[in-house]
Amino acid sequence: MAFEKTLTQNVGNPDALTVAGYKKNGGYTALEAALKMEPDAITQAVKDSGLRGRGGAGFPAGMKWSFIPKIDKPKYLVCNADESEPGTFKDRLLMEYDPHQLIEGCAICCRAVGANTTYIYIRGEYTKAARILEDAIREAYQAGILGDSVMGSGWKLDMYVHMGAGAYICGEETGMLESLEGKRGQPRVKPPFPAVVGAFGCPTVINNVETLCNVPHILNRGAAWFKGIGTDERNTGPKLYAVSGHVERPGTYELPLGITFDELLEVCGGMYKGGTLKAFIPGGASAPILKASESHLKMDFDTLAKAGSMLGSAAVIVMDETTCMVRAASRLAKFFAHESCGQCTPCREGTNWMEIILHRIEAGHGHPNDADLLYSVSKNVGGNSLCALGDAAIGPVRSLVEKFRDEIEQHIREHACPVPVRRYFAAAA
Amino acid sequence: MSATAEQTASVAELALAELPDAAKAEIAEIRKRYPTAQAALLPALHIAQRNFDGWLAEPVIAAVAAELGLPVSTVYGVVTFYDLYHLKPVGRHRIRVCNNLSCQLRGAEEILDAMRAELGVGEDEVTDDGRCSYVHFECLGSCDTAPMMMIDDDYHENLTPESAREIVRGLK
Amino acid sequence: MPKVTINDRTVEVEPGTNLVEAAAKVGVQVPHYCYHPRLSVVGQCRMCMVEVEMNGRKMPKLQAGCSTPVADGMVVRTDTPEVHEAQKGMMEFLLINHPLDCPICDQAGECGLQDYSFKHGVAYSRFEFEDKRTYPGRERIPLGANVLLNMNRCIQCTRCVRFTQEIAGTSEIGFFNRGSHAEIGVFPGRELSNPLATCVVDVCPVGALTSTRFRFAERVFNLDKKPSICAGCDAGCNITIEHRRGKIRRYKPRTNPEVNDYWMCDDGRASWEKYRDRPRLTSPRVKDRATTWKEALDAVYQRVRSRSAEGATAILGSGQLTTEEAYLFAQLADQIGTPHRSVAVDPFPERRIPNLHGGVFGREAAPNRRGAEMAGLAARPGAFTADEFLNGDAASRCATLVVTDGDFGAAAWDDAAVARLRQASCLIVFSWADSPLAQAADIALPIATHAEKDGSFVNSQRRVQRFRAAFPAPGQVRGGVEVLSDLLARFDPAWAGLSPAAVFDRFAGQTPGLAGLTFGSLPPTGAALADTQAAGAEG
Repeated sequence: MAFEKTLTQNVGNPDALTVAGYKKNGGYTALEAALKMEPDAITQAVKDSGLRGRGGAGFPAGMKWSFIPKIDKPKYLVCNADESEPGTFKDRLLMEYDPHQLIEGCAICCRAVGANTTYIYIRGEYTKAARILEDAIREAYQAGILGDSVMGSGWKLDMYVHMGAGAYICGEETGMLESLEGKRGQPRVKPPFPAVVGAFGCPTVINNVETLCNVPHILNRGAAWFKGIGTDERNTGPKLYAVSGHVERPGTYELPLGITFDELLEVCGGMYKGGTLKAFIPGGASAPILKASESHLKMDFDTLAKAGSMLGSAAVIVMDETTCMVRAASRLAKFFAHESCGQCTPCREGTNWMEIILHRIEAGHGHPNDADLLYSVSKNVGGNSLCALGDAAIGPVRSLVEKFRDEIEQHIREHACPVPVRRYFAAAA
Repeated sequence: MSATAEQTASVAELALAELPDAAKAEIAEIRKRYPTAQAALLPALHIAQRNFDGWLAEPVIAAVAAELGLPVSTVYGVVTFYDLYHLKPVGRHRIRVCNNLSCQLRGAEEILDAMRAELGVGEDEVTDDGRCSYVHFECLGSCDTAPMMMIDDDYHENLTPESAREIVRGLK
Repeated sequence: MPKVTINDRTVEVEPGTNLVEAAAKVGVQVPHYCYHPRLSVVGQCRMCMVEVEMNGRKMPKLQAGCSTPVADGMVVRTDTPEVHEAQKGMMEFLLINHPLDCPICDQAGECGLQDYSFKHGVAYSRFEFEDKRTYPGRERIPLGANVLLNMNRCIQCTRCVRFTQEIAGTSEIGFFNRGSHAEIGVFPGRELSNPLATCVVDVCPVGALTSTRFRFAERVFNLDKKPSICAGCDAGCNITIEHRRGKIRRYKPRTNPEVNDYWMCDDGRASWEKYRDRPRLTSPRVKDRATTWKEALDAVYQRVRSRSAEGATAILGSGQLTTEEAYLFAQLADQIGTPHRSVAVDPFPERRIPNLHGGVFGREAAPNRRGAEMAGLAARPGAFTADEFLNGDAASRCATLVVTDGDFGAAAWDDAAVARLRQASCLIVFSWADSPLAQAADIALPIATHAEKDGSFVNSQRRVQRFRAAFPAPGQVRGGVEVLSDLLARFDPAWAGLSPAAVFDRFAGQTPGLAGLTFGSLPPTGAALADTQAAGAEG
């Protein structure tokens, strides 16, 4: 499927890591144009494009920008580069291969909302991407693209890389703000929302890397171009799909938002070693698991939501017939329990409880009521937690019980895992 | 939230490590990026950890707290929250093997077994010569090159048990 | 002002009021752990989930009441099946890892888990096949001299963390680790050592933080709880005296937003222990011989009214006296016709009890120097001062020295100071304690402690606060007002049969700022006096 790449057009072109090289491909023309526009017009263009957040929540980006009040207080853009949702690696690609695209997108956003400082909050494990970004930022300062007078306009913009220290919850907006401020990454109660009280008590936009990388292209080619890609006017634009698991060619693929899973699988070279599709996760660990029979679904925000799952970060994890679904769900439950910040009762206790029930079932010590118990516990976690991690944690658990209950029952009946552990490598010599 | 005289006085009662001048200078430079001293804490802890053999002993934590004028219990709360800050000695080389779902679907457990076999210690233990320690880790954002691991600042991707052992053997 | 309807009851509230507070205003109790009116709102425990409807649309998820400010027209329900399910769910989560310690836990009887479990939980556990999460080695960790932590019982509400950060300002307690291993604690090598340390035990809803001094002392449901005022210093914190049949087991702070708000200091909490530990004067004594009240008071009367050429008659007052007792001692001084009166009080390391008006300060080791001076015992120009008695030879120039309180300060227990006071020809001591001073007295009269009598104190804010006896005085011990009324009646029968309330009313009648007030009509938060005052009294 030939699809003209925009977000990943500079991948594989090391020249683009420099300002001059990036400019050769039309880089920084959008920022130049933005400096001459009314800030509200920039926001309007983003609104018109229908761009929805690419980090997981899918919130309309332009609307988020418009929430920033026009008050006399410093304003901030925090770029969410925490990318810790299992199965997601697309932001890393963007930062390592096209840092200036992100810098330009951040700058345009700041211009639109009146911010003078961007913090790129990047997960602490992404040392290489952080280094590349810092080099690019340094060069951008030298080239007058950042600093006291952006491109000679008199408008000041500072940009800094802020490294995290290993906590998935810091990908949650207010958890990120707390971490940026040097505290434990514990999400805040809302209201107030970050647009009003964000970083350091000031109005703040928080956007994902991929979201911001779309912005220069929206200005360069127009909102109409962006809207022309995708399923409908609520699901627009190009999308990076990060595919992993049992496919022949795992990787990041830039495709129109809303291709079907079948189409995506074909692009990835089909199933790994010719296996049979059993299940797939369409949008990262938080997204409820879909069965093979649902592979015809369009991978966009609304279609997947209607199907009881979510597009999330578009991190697609593919599982073939050798996969034990209990084991898969158990590993994800362990992840959520490990990453729970511990503040609120349902998530702190509930993720722990779900983890140990699943572990017990996987190990062959399940009890007849465990599936119902698991489901009941998940119902008390979801909807009651302080932030969305609680809601995310129940995704794998609920879909396991709803769609693969027979596997649970088999574990319980047989007091063992019925699926042999697959060996991927020959035994060591 | 800055420390009161009482708080900083009590830090003075604790044993404080001596942060190297270069580290203090680096922290002071980073401090300028933020409106508050506390916002420099995560970077400051990374810097301190780099200067003290890759882990944060209590006197080092107290020193960072004193440097930024923060209550030591607050700093300790931050240190214990995040996975990349270590509270006990680690190997000269820190190995993190991802075994989250995507990596597990491509053989991550076999890589962990290889680590155990190659290094002769269990997870979170340091080899006798102090060279290496390894742990399993959550998703490192490299799922398309599974199975993979992170050693110090570098990613090692598309591993086999053999290639993993080879890489580790080459670590000084 | 926004109006909110809660369970069909509508109320108008201040902007910014949260739903837990708004509900309380219409008599609806929304269960909560982490919320506290004086601590920052964190919305963590998730017990306060309620149903909220705005503009005719029900919000899809339940909302945490503590972190939801009232919006005009909000309709809230706390009694729906969904709310009950959430409450049961949260209770279940809190109990799955909680140890069944009730039989050995001090919190039993005043425990948030017990209470809400009963009201909002279920009577069975579904946590059957798993091991509870524990914190090995952290079952009885001293966090300081006065507070003990059992981390297994903690429900991670972080009230203690926020208390040391926001109220005490000392940040000893932090929140460590992540997820289900999250725990509270102090940095290794540090202690919980601020003056308000034991307040974390008050705010802790469960038995994770307990008072070392109260450990295993009494089951709280055996305690009688009576409102009073702390007599440890002149801050005048409002307290509850909790006792079992006259044996005090602990003090707890009683809320008074004008004085101590929700708090009190550790020294104050321990200030009743001297009543338990020091020897008690149990019967009137004349020259080493126990005797009757009649005989003892007759002896006092004879001595004080005789104008002796040997020297002066003086009354050495104390900051421990109630205002009413001091008033009658001043009347005695008037009857005798002596100018020599004064109030002795020891200094005290300054402490500030936080409230919303800058706090209340304690700087003196007794509650009522101001009241005693206002009631007439303030030193007069040219007459003996307290200092001259304690550090000089004023006693040697006294024919009769009446010490109103045998526990007036450290000096009463110090041999050298007692020897100086003993130089008076006749030493008469009123005392609850059988101190060295009482033992040295020619006439010793057993008086009730402040827990055993009615009275009032004037604190460092110049606020008059009333208290009533928590339990009766033992045996022959009597209240000071009763004794002095009896003594003064020997001068003039009009003084007979006075109660502390009646004495207060007289005192109020002649004190600017208390006009129109009676003992019974004193407001519960006390009555602040005007700044201009009777001679000698200063801020």
